[in-house]
Amino acid sequence: MNIKKLLLRNETALIIAIILLSLVIGIKSPEFFTLANLFDIFRSSFVQLIFALGVLIVIISGGIDISFPAVGIFAGYTAVVLMQRFEWNPENLLLPIALAIIIGTILGAINSIAIATFGIPTLIATLGTSGIFRGIMLTFIGSSFISDIPIALDNFATADLLKIQPEEGTLARLHILIIPVAILTILVSLLLTRTMFGRSVYALGGGVEATRRLGISVKRTQAKIYMLVGGLSGLAGILYVSLQRKANPYDLTGSELDIIAAVVLGGASIMGGYGTVFGTVLGVLLISLIKGNLILLGVSGSWQRAAVGALLLIGITVQALNESKKAKNRRVSTSDEAGE
Amino acid sequence: MNERFSKFNTGLLADRKITQLMIFTALTFIFFSYVSKDIFFTSSNFVSMAYQIPEIAILSIALMLSMLTGGIDLSIVSISNAAALVASWVMTTKMGESENLSNKWIIIACVLGTIVGLLAGAVNSILVARLNVTPILATLATMTLFNGIAIGMTNGESVSGLPEQFMRVGNGTFFGIPTPFVLMILIAIAVGFLVNRTTLGLKVFLVGTNRKAAQYSVMGDRKVIAWVYLISGLLSSLAGLIIASRTSAASPDFGSSYILLAIVIVVLGGVNPNGGFGTVTGVILATAVLQMVSSGFNALRFSQFFYLAAQGGVLIFVMILNVVLENRRTNKSIAKSLRS
Repeated sequence: MNIKKLLLRNETALIIAIILLSLVIGIKSPEFFTLANLFDIFRSSFVQLIFALGVLIVIISGGIDISFPAVGIFAGYTAVVLMQRFEWNPENLLLPIALAIIIGTILGAINSIAIATFGIPTLIATLGTSGIFRGIMLTFIGSSFISDIPIALDNFATADLLKIQPEEGTLARLHILIIPVAILTILVSLLLTRTMFGRSVYALGGGVEATRRLGISVKRTQAKIYMLVGGLSGLAGILYVSLQRKANPYDLTGSELDIIAAVVLGGASIMGGYGTVFGTVLGVLLISLIKGNLILLGVSGSWQRAAVGALLLIGITVQALNESKKAKNRRVSTSDEAGE
Repeated sequence: MNERFSKFNTGLLADRKITQLMIFTALTFIFFSYVSKDIFFTSSNFVSMAYQIPEIAILSIALMLSMLTGGIDLSIVSISNAAALVASWVMTTKMGESENLSNKWIIIACVLGTIVGLLAGAVNSILVARLNVTPILATLATMTLFNGIAIGMTNGESVSGLPEQFMRVGNGTFFGIPTPFVLMILIAIAVGFLVNRTTLGLKVFLVGTNRKAAQYSVMGDRKVIAWVYLISGLLSSLAGLIIASRTSAASPDFGSSYILLAIVIVVLGGVNPNGGFGTVTGVILATAVLQMVSSGFNALRFSQFFYLAAQGGVLIFVMILNVVLENRRTNKSIAKSLRS
């Protein structure tokens, strides 16, 4: 790959943006460049990244899922409620995580039925199911805040891989979750690039009809995608509960925007057919960086949402401009998207 | 193709959907009147419904317009809040300590509010029509941005204490009919006229039915889409002004669940989310149904979260029903053509 191409890549632009932003923040407030702050950014990115990996898969396939925060908190909260009800309180994390992943996958399967079996547009289907999931959880499972979460989850919140005490300043803690999340990220990347399923996800995003004619079952692929996303969201949900050390059924509402923004900024094309795991990781880091450190820039925290919106707007505008440039080069006046 | 156009002209399909919806509305009415005679079936309940319907009906009409072209405008609620905030801010700062404000300033404030709506709509227009960004993503970004700016400017607090005369619009009556309801009827007639009796309206349907065909027939499909998002912004700002006037306050997070509700209404009202079909009458009837369900649930003391689940359920159910009916119709016509 030549240098010019490398520079034009979305990932390069993101890395440059992250470095520039870090420099600006760092110059304004030197406490930004501490290990503690870096590890904090990591810690706030774990859950976001797991959600984002799921969203990435959906967006590559040409769909959109906005039910994942509802699935995540449903799975996390319900797992905790179940464990309390039956007084399961094991020392290890296996049970709550398995429970949450199973619940998430079941909810994902409901999305699959709506989308793959009945062919409802993905946005509308997931908007509907997100209302159903949230409504059912708050009506039938519980609407109260649980602070005494199972001991294993509680302990996990403070499980640090390494602690570094600098000569002055706060203790820097790197959470142990960085290892499993890194492995998961690599696994998703391998899944997308090295397996038949992953390639059919890209094919689906490139064009539904073309995928069908390739002999790939569109419905089966879609069903798998939404179940996988459900499972990932369930995992993210229980980890969120663990890291927060409380299960609040009202949490995660509205977080879909940040995560979709991160994935889109990471270069995934909402038209489908393009997106990389590396780009998504960078997108999540950029969003976490901005959300966590706006205050260090001297901007009030209430501008967080506007900052995310502005970033998303810049991201999609750049994408759209590139797209139209490409279209011009091809000298094709109309695009194929309209025919879907 | 021929058949489709004859349907357009005679409005046969329209009539059938409207008839179905009218029956459905009547059934909902009878059901709730029967189960909750003393709370639902009272004049005070109907009056309060007549005050609540207009704002969500106008938002749904705005959403319908973008859906007719095959797009979607997710930013309607953000726009309406932003417009309401600007108008309220002008009024409260002008009012200062005094209780009253001259009518001139109220009108200026309202005009500024609608200008905000038009500007926000123009941003959407540029993104969707000019830059060819997918409507879902473009309006998701602007929704975040507008909402973020509103939160940033107000620090997330609401603006309240609006002048008496302004509140009279939202809470008063006009010849015995609640004023917001009258305004809604006027807006519905205006949009109905626009959609059914003008060239722009016809073009909206054509773009929604087949964007590519519209492109090849050089009717300025981009211009049509630009107009649609502009009008959608204007209507949203009007809804925002009505909300502010009824509640005597404007807040950046008002009606965060309205986007799901508006989509449920529009889909229930028979608008095709892929574009090309929909009626204002259907949307108004669907609003009435949903408002009755909401009031009925209230009367029966169901939780608001159950209503949320019901909204999602209705959305998914109607979409599945549409798909099943559509399939059956296709199969029938295939069987018919095979026989002949």
